Amino acid sequence: MIFGRHVNRFYLKYGFFFALGVAALITVDWYQLMIPDITGSIIEGIQYNTLTSSILEGYMARLAVIAVIMIVGRFLWRIFIMGTSRRIDYELRNDMFRHAEKLSQRYYQENKSGGLMALFTNDLNAVRMAFGPGLMMFFDVLFLGGLAFYRMYLLDATLTFFAAIPLLMVSILAAMVSRITGRKFKDRQKAFENMSDFTQENFYGIGVIKAFVNELREIREFAKINQDNYDKNVSFIKASTLMHVGIEVFINTIRILMLGLGGYLVYRTIGLDLTDPGKFSVGDLSRYVSYFGMMVWPMMAIGRLINMRAQANASMQRINSLLDQKVEIIDGEDVVDVHHLEGKITFNNLSFKYPNTKTEVLKNLNLVIESGEIVGIIGRTGSGKTTIVDLLLRIYNLKANEILLDDTDIMKLPIKTIRDQVGYVPQDNFIFSDTIENNIGFSSDEIDLNQISKIAQYSDVHDNIIDFPEGYQTVVGERGVTLSGGQKQRISIARALLKDPSILIMDDSFSAVDTKTEEMIIKNLQHLRKGKTTIIIAHRISTIQLADKIVLLDEGAIVGVGSHEQLLVSSPLYQEMVLRQQLEAEVEGGM
Amino acid sequence: MAKRSFEDFDSLRNKTYSDWTIVKRLMIYVKPYVLQLLIALGLVFVLVGLDLVGPLFLAAVLDSLGEPNVDFMQILLIVGMYIAIIAVNAVLSYQQSILLQKTGQKIIFNIRRDVFNHLEGLSIAQFNRVPIGKLVTRVTSDTDTLNSMYTDVLINAIRSIMTIIGVFVIMFTQNASLTLLISLVVPFVILASVLFRVYSRKAYRMVRYNVSSINAYLSEHLSGMKLIQIFNREEKKYQEFKQKNVKLRKSYVLQTVTFAVYRPLMYMLYVATLITTLWYGGTQAINGLMSYGILVAFTQYISKFFDPIQDLAEKFDTLQSAFTSGERIFELLDMKPDIKDATEAIELQGFKGKIEFRNVWFAYIEEDWILKDVSFVVQPQETIAFVGATGSGKTTILSLIVRNYEIQKGDIFIDDINIKDILVTSLRKHIGQMMQDVFLFSGTIESNIRMRDDSITDQEIVEACKYVNADRFIDKLPLKYNELVRERGNNFSSGERQLLSFARTLVHKPSVMILDEATANIDTETEELIQESLKKMMNIGTMIIVAHRLSTIQHVDKIIVMQKGKILEQGNHQELLKKKGHYHTLYMLQYDKRLLIHQSNK
Repeated sequence: MIFGRHVNRFYLKYGFFFALGVAALITVDWYQLMIPDITGSIIEGIQYNTLTSSILEGYMARLAVIAVIMIVGRFLWRIFIMGTSRRIDYELRNDMFRHAEKLSQRYYQENKSGGLMALFTNDLNAVRMAFGPGLMMFFDVLFLGGLAFYRMYLLDATLTFFAAIPLLMVSILAAMVSRITGRKFKDRQKAFENMSDFTQENFYGIGVIKAFVNELREIREFAKINQDNYDKNVSFIKASTLMHVGIEVFINTIRILMLGLGGYLVYRTIGLDLTDPGKFSVGDLSRYVSYFGMMVWPMMAIGRLINMRAQANASMQRINSLLDQKVEIIDGEDVVDVHHLEGKITFNNLSFKYPNTKTEVLKNLNLVIESGEIVGIIGRTGSGKTTIVDLLLRIYNLKANEILLDDTDIMKLPIKTIRDQVGYVPQDNFIFSDTIENNIGFSSDEIDLNQISKIAQYSDVHDNIIDFPEGYQTVVGERGVTLSGGQKQRISIARALLKDPSILIMDDSFSAVDTKTEEMIIKNLQHLRKGKTTIIIAHRISTIQLADKIVLLDEGAIVGVGSHEQLLVSSPLYQEMVLRQQLEAEVEGGM
Repeated sequence: MAKRSFEDFDSLRNKTYSDWTIVKRLMIYVKPYVLQLLIALGLVFVLVGLDLVGPLFLAAVLDSLGEPNVDFMQILLIVGMYIAIIAVNAVLSYQQSILLQKTGQKIIFNIRRDVFNHLEGLSIAQFNRVPIGKLVTRVTSDTDTLNSMYTDVLINAIRSIMTIIGVFVIMFTQNASLTLLISLVVPFVILASVLFRVYSRKAYRMVRYNVSSINAYLSEHLSGMKLIQIFNREEKKYQEFKQKNVKLRKSYVLQTVTFAVYRPLMYMLYVATLITTLWYGGTQAINGLMSYGILVAFTQYISKFFDPIQDLAEKFDTLQSAFTSGERIFELLDMKPDIKDATEAIELQGFKGKIEFRNVWFAYIEEDWILKDVSFVVQPQETIAFVGATGSGKTTILSLIVRNYEIQKGDIFIDDINIKDILVTSLRKHIGQMMQDVFLFSGTIESNIRMRDDSITDQEIVEACKYVNADRFIDKLPLKYNELVRERGNNFSSGERQLLSFARTLVHKPSVMILDEATANIDTETEELIQESLKKMMNIGTMIIVAHRLSTIQHVDKIIVMQKGKILEQGNHQELLKKKGHYHTLYMLQYDKRLLIHQSNK
C-alpha cells in the first residue's frame, strides 16, 4: 500500500481487481483457520473415545471442501493482486519514459544515466512490491492475524495476552532492527554499484589503460573495491542472520512456553467435563498451538510491511522527482501557428549563459543569415560554436527576440516546427544500435530504401555500407561501435540530409573524413541544399571557404563576418588562421 | 577498423562445457575452504536432527496430558528440554550460517579477482569482440549468482534432502504403515515440481530476456535523448518502448501464473496427505493402535516434508543459472590473451626510438589483408607522417607499433629488436598514443591526467597543461584542476577532451609519440602550438603522425603515402612533390584552393 500523486489513480482504475483479490485472500484466511479446529476435534474424539469412522469421514469431507476453496482462493488472489501490480508497474514505466522524453538536456547533463536507470529498475520494483506483496501482507495481517487472535482469545483470554504481547513486541523490534539491516543492505548495493561503475568505465577505457600500461594500477584499485564488496556483504549477512535467528529463537521459545502454560491449563481443568466452559482440553491445546503458528506470519509481516513501505516511499519520491521535473522546453502561450520555415535566421543581441553557470558563453551576437545561404562558423575551441547550435535547436530557453527564425521569435515558434524544419549533424555522431537503414531513416516513419541509398551516396557512405555483409540491414553495435569514426560521421550526415530540412546544421561534421571525401560531400551539399539554409561549423578553413558567408567567433563574440575573400582582407584573426593553415602553401607558392 | 562479431552470449547455452566440467572447475575455488565447508556440513546434520525432534516433544506433552494421572513435573521437564534444544539450535544455526556465507563471499572475492585480472590482460581486439555490458556482468552479477550456488545450493540443498530423509525415518519408526501410505504422494509431488520447474524456467528466461532488452533500450535511449528530441522522434520511440514494455509485462504475468498454479497445487497435495494421515491415523487411533500425540506430530512432519521439497524445486533454478554463469565465466577465463610476452622477452633499455617494418602483412580477419607487404624505417628523432584515404591502413600501422595486434607475416623491429621479443609493457611505456576518440574517466581533470601514477607531481600536471594550451580553459573552470569530469568526459567539448588527452600523454614522458588524427577537433592555432611544444620537449624523439590534412604535416622528415594497404611513395614533402605522383595529386587538390587564397590575399 502506497500513495502518491502519480499512483493514486491506479487504485481507482484497478480497484475492482484489487477488491476481487482481497476478497479471495480473506476467504482463504477464513477457511484456513478451520483446519486446526478439525484436528482438535479429532484429538478430543480419540482422547474421549467418541470418534467413530463415520464422524471421521465427515471431518475428512469438510477438510476436502476447505481445501478446494483455499486452492481456488489462493490462485485467484495471486492473479488479481500480483497480476495487477504488474500492470501498474507497466503503466508507471510507460509514464516515466514518456516524461523522460520531454525533459531538457540540462536535466540529462545533471543526472547520470546510471541513476536514471536505477529509477526504472530498483525504484520501480520497490513501488511495485508495495502494490503487490505489500497489499497482500496488509490484508493478511489484518484478517489472518486478527482472526487467529480472536479464536485464540475465545479459547483462553489470559493465555492469548501472554502470547500476543511478546509476539507484538518482537515484531516491532524486528521492524526497528531491520532498519539497521536495511541500511547495511543499501551499503552493500552501493558497493556493488561502485564495482559495476568501475569495471564498466575500465572496460570502455581499456584502450587508454593499455596505452599507459596502467593495468596493474587498475588491478590494485579493483582489489580495493572487491574487498569493500566483501566487507559490506559480510557485515550485512551478519546483521541479517542475527536478526533472523534471533526472531526464530524468540518465537519458538514463546511457542513452547505456550505449550507449557497450555499444558498447565489442561492439568488444572482435568477433572472438568468437556462441555464445561472452563474446560481446556488437549484438543483445545492443539488448536491453540496451531492458531499461534498461524499468527506468527502476520506478526512478522507487520515488520516487513513497515520496511517495505518505507522503501517504497523513498523510491516513490525519487520517481516523483523525475515525474514532477518541470518540462522546461515547452511552447509558450503566445505560440504562433507555423509549420514551415523558409530558413532566415536573425541573431539579435544574443547573450547566453548555460543554466546554473556564471560565465557568458555568447556575448551580444548580432547576425542575419538569409534563407538559402550556406554559412560557415569558425572559431577556436571553446569559442561558443556548439552553443549557437544548441540554441537554434531550442534545447535551451532564450529571452524574447534574441533569435528570430523567419522574423518570428524562436520562443514563439512551436518546438515541433523548429525540430521538423531543422536538420542536425551532432558532433558526437550518436548512432543507435539498429540497422544502418533505420539509422539513416531515423527521421521518417516509412523507410524508403531508394531514397536512403541515394542520400547515402551523396554522403559518400553508400560504398562502405554495401561492403558490409548485410548492407543496409547491418545492425550496428552499442553506440555504433562496429563503425569507424568516419563512417559514423557520414551516416550521421546522411541521417540529417534525409530530412531535407529548411535549415541544416553541421557541427564539426568533417573531422573524421579525409579531404577528398570532404570536398565531395560539400560539392553534393551545394547542389542538394540549393535554396535552403545550411550552417557548417568547422575548425578548418578548407571546410567552409566556399560558404556564402563565414562567421568568425572568438570567446563568445562575433569578430568577423563576410565571405572568405572579404574576411581575408578585414579580419586579422582570420588572416592569421588562414596563414597558419597555408603556411607551407605560401612557401611552395612559386612552384 | 576491426570487424566485430556479435555472438549472442545470452543465447541458450551451447554447452561448451559439460555440467561436470563446470562443477569440477567450480570446486577448484572451494579447495582452500574445504575445512570451513565440512564444518558447515557437519553442523547441518546436527541442525536437521535438532529440528526434527521438535514434534516428538510436542507429542510427548500432548500424550502425557491425556494420561489418567498427569505428572506435571514431567511435562515441565519436557518443555525445559525443548527450550534448551531451541537455544542450542539457534546458536549453531547462526554459526553455521555465518561460516557458510563468509566462505561463499571469500570464494566470490577470489573469482572476481581472477576474472578482472584476466580481463585486464586481454587485447583490445578481444575487448572489441564482446559488448562491454556483458563483460561487466561477468565480473559483477555472474559472480554473484555463483555465490548462491556455493551457499544456497551446496549446503542448503543437502540440508533439504537431509530433512526429507530425516522426516521419513522418524515417521517410519513411529508408524511404518502410515508412513508407507504417505510416501504414495511423493511421485505426485515430484511430478508437480518437475512440471513447475519446466514452466517456471521458461517464464524466468522470458522475464530475464525482456528485462535486459528493456534495460539496454533504456540505457541507449536515455543517453541519446538529445537526438530523439531534435529529430522529433519522441512518439515513435515511445511506441517502441511500449512494445517492449508489453512483452515484459506479459512475461511477468506468465511468471505470476506459474506460481499461482504451482503453489496451490502443492497445497492441494499437502492437504491430500493431511487427509490421508488424519483418516488412516484417526482410524488407527480409534482402534487404539496410535496415540493422538503421534498423530499431531505426524501432521507437523508432513509440513516439514513439503517445505524442503518446494525449496528444492525453486533451488533448481538457482543451480541452473549458476551453471550458466559459471560457464560464461569459464569461457571468458579460457579466452587466451592474443598478445602474450615471449618467454625471453626483454625490457627496452636506453630507448632510442627506431622503428622498422619489414614486409609486414596484416589482416583483422583471415585473408582480408589490410596491410600488404609494408616496409619502412623511422630513424630515431625523426618525425614521419602517414597520408592516405580512409581505410588505407594508416591507423592499423599505428596500432601495430604498440602491438595491439599480432602481425601475420613479416617483422617489426623496435630499436632493431623484434617487437615479439620486447615486453609489451616496456614497449607501451615508451610510446605515447594520441587517438582521435578521446576517452576520459569520471573523476577530476587532475585524476585524468595523473592516471593513478602517484609519482607525478601537481607541478608537472600544470606544466603539461600549459604546454598544450589546456590551461586556458582549465583556468576558467570554477574548480580548476579539481573540476569534475563526468562519465566519458561529456561535460567537455571534443576539442577540450583532446587537449586534456595531450596533457595526459605528455605528463607520462613518452619517448615516441604517435598521433592518430589527434588534432582533428582542435583549432589550427592550438594545434600548431601543440606541435611546437612536442618538438620542444626533449624527451620526445620519434614522432609518427596520421592526418587527413596535408597542411599539418608538410614539415615532417618523411611522408609515407598509403593506398589500400600498400605504400605508394615515401619521401619528404619536396621530394614527393617533384615525383608528381599520388602525393602531388593530393596536394594539388588542396593547393588549388590555397592558390586562390594566396592570390586574393595579395
